Amino acid sequence: MARVVVMGGGVSGHTAATFAKKWLGNEHEVVVVTPNSKWNWIPSNIWVGVGEMTKEDVTFDLAPVYEKAGIDYRQAKAVSIHPEGKADSDTPYITIEYTDPSKAGQKEELTYDYLINATGPKLNFGATPGLGEGSNIGTNTVSVCTADHAEHANAELQKIFEKAKAGERQKILVGTGHGMCTCQGAAFEYIFNIEHEANKAGVRNMLDIQWISNESFLGDFGIGGLHMKRGGYAASSRLFAESLYSERGIPWIIGAHVNKVEPGKAHYELLDGTMGEVDFDFAMLIPPFAGVGLTAVAKDGSDMTGEIFAPNGFLKVDADYTPKPYNEWKASDWPRTYQNPKYKNIFACGIAFAPPHLISKPMSSPNGTPINPTPPRTGMPSGIMGKTVAHSVVDLIKKGPDAPLHEASMAEMGAACVASAGKGLTNGTAAALTVYPVVPDFEKYPGLGRDLDYTFGEIGLAGHWIKHILHHMFIYKAKLKPGWTLIPE
Amino acid sequence: MVQKLVVYPDERVNISCTDVRNFGKTLDDVLEDMIDTANEHGLDALAAIQIAYPYNIIIIRNDNGSFDEYINPRILTNQGTFESTETTLYYPDIEVKLTRYDNIKLIYEDRRGNPQHTDISDRKLSSTMQRKLDYLFGGTFLDKIDQNRRDKIIDSLNSKGLKPYTDDVCPTFSRKDYFVSFTDKILFFMGLSLLTPLFSFAPQTVANIYAFDRYGFIAVIVLMIGFFFYAQYEAKKYRQCSSCQIGNNIGVIVKRVAVGIAFATASYFIVNPA
Repeated sequence: MARVVVMGGGVSGHTAATFAKKWLGNEHEVVVVTPNSKWNWIPSNIWVGVGEMTKEDVTFDLAPVYEKAGIDYRQAKAVSIHPEGKADSDTPYITIEYTDPSKAGQKEELTYDYLINATGPKLNFGATPGLGEGSNIGTNTVSVCTADHAEHANAELQKIFEKAKAGERQKILVGTGHGMCTCQGAAFEYIFNIEHEANKAGVRNMLDIQWISNESFLGDFGIGGLHMKRGGYAASSRLFAESLYSERGIPWIIGAHVNKVEPGKAHYELLDGTMGEVDFDFAMLIPPFAGVGLTAVAKDGSDMTGEIFAPNGFLKVDADYTPKPYNEWKASDWPRTYQNPKYKNIFACGIAFAPPHLISKPMSSPNGTPINPTPPRTGMPSGIMGKTVAHSVVDLIKKGPDAPLHEASMAEMGAACVASAGKGLTNGTAAALTVYPVVPDFEKYPGLGRDLDYTFGEIGLAGHWIKHILHHMFIYKAKLKPGWTLIPE
Repeated sequence: MVQKLVVYPDERVNISCTDVRNFGKTLDDVLEDMIDTANEHGLDALAAIQIAYPYNIIIIRNDNGSFDEYINPRILTNQGTFESTETTLYYPDIEVKLTRYDNIKLIYEDRRGNPQHTDISDRKLSSTMQRKLDYLFGGTFLDKIDQNRRDKIIDSLNSKGLKPYTDDVCPTFSRKDYFVSFTDKILFFMGLSLLTPLFSFAPQTVANIYAFDRYGFIAVIVLMIGFFFYAQYEAKKYRQCSSCQIGNNIGVIVKRVAVGIAFATASYFIVNPA
């Protein structure tokens, strides 16, 4: 009997664990280690953040789902990886520390035959002074990165709406809280949902809503922008985004690295090296992501974290990490199997794998501050990676170590994204976008790097319906209800 | 080398330009062509796409008479607006009024790839830069004015015989529509068959109607699969075909398959003689 340990129970980890268990059956063991007791459909957190959904609507308890699936669930956080075992044993293992209230603080060693790292990111609030401490958000801003954060964000937002109703003009700031953030899409959704709710509440005219981000142009979204085939030609996402922001009366600050947050004030550096500040009464700033801080330990007990993990804390996989200038970046730099090059029984998927480089054009200010979006690895690609890695691990167990691995390069993978711009059965809007491939391949698709036949985008009410249907579909799938495998990632 | 200018109705100006990634001889050649072309035609500014090079490059003549080069330019910040009256070489004899930013802060690279930035507060230069930037992102100044005014301008250009080349534009009726039409007819009769219990048909007739529903459902699935692949083929055949986008095709398929499933399920419970 082989044991597969999956670290993380988010979109990627949950997908990997559930498919691995389904394909392996009861002959082999699948263990999930995640510090969370609940699964969270993160894309809907923006609706919790404006009070259109509750925390319960976007989460569910993991324990009964894993029990039904026959997955060994440990509510614990992974602390270290020991891929060579220890002095008296060659069996690789990880150490975990329970967060389950009944065993809180207890430590344990968990051996594995195959390890899937799908821990997701550490929300690195501490990277920006005033944004928070370590992975804990501070009191100056709010976040929608978790359901709890989103619930808190809504409580604060409602206070702002109340003040606006009382005739007090309010300033709202939404965007990215650091020059190296990803997830501009979540902030994009949140700002337009706030604007939509403000209209519904009749307080829009009392709100100054401001966007701030590290993108060098609106509509970059961390993937260097995208182009939609319209009338036979490619229309840039910049035109689409600028039109939307202008229509909704939202001014923007772009190319900005927020370097300090104080109560009611954010300080930033722009790509031209100038400094600025913007006042706010309410701010939702996405933090940068980092690895969760796992360490790796060699057989002799020495630290080997640098061999397995990249400096940003994400796990090294089969990518080409050779430092290269932007003009030499290739689609083939991106990983295909997500297998660690040194330890073939370790894989990483979702945000947990270390990307070889950015997708957007790298930029920095004259002061040397890097200001560019980092690559998104969430949502659909994250689920596809999880399933692919599970497939590879299952084949390695069932067919032997020479079994060919399954591949899912982000440079050969399309992704669909539905970005809400306001919730409502009859007046909601969302932008539905597809992009292929996620990572531009300038050799295969000279010019824009993408296949325009598979890249399109529209904004409208139907998009909102799709987003809402997807919310229910993916939660249904994650609960492993009948037919869950038929629902694509 | 002087290149031919892209002038309406040549629609290549709508191509969204790509960032320059390699700063070398090719870029030098493109810039020289742009400068030669601008000098030949006495132009003060030119975007690379105006001579059919789909790169994010702009040149603007400075006070010395030479050209400033802006590679991969982006507007970082803007301040104030004003009403600008503009003409452009792309639309001959057309003048429009539109709103432009007063002051802009621009980041860009020079021909060696070094990051640069500049503040532009001169209104003429600011509006010229913004007009050229529109080209880089696949638009023209007509995209910044209201639909009615735009339509009138296009109509006036058409009346002068200036019409876009439309030979490979998506046709109003394509063969893939046969798949849809036939599917809709099957679905119509499947829907009609649900009225069977209202009539006193002979058992054999009811059995035949139910058989039609079963085979009809299979036919719907097969037709939609055929539709998908034929639509993909057509999408590649026509240069301009917004209705050929995969999203539209999937929408057509999902709608009909959903209706087919609903009718087949209803038929199982309502029409099924067993």
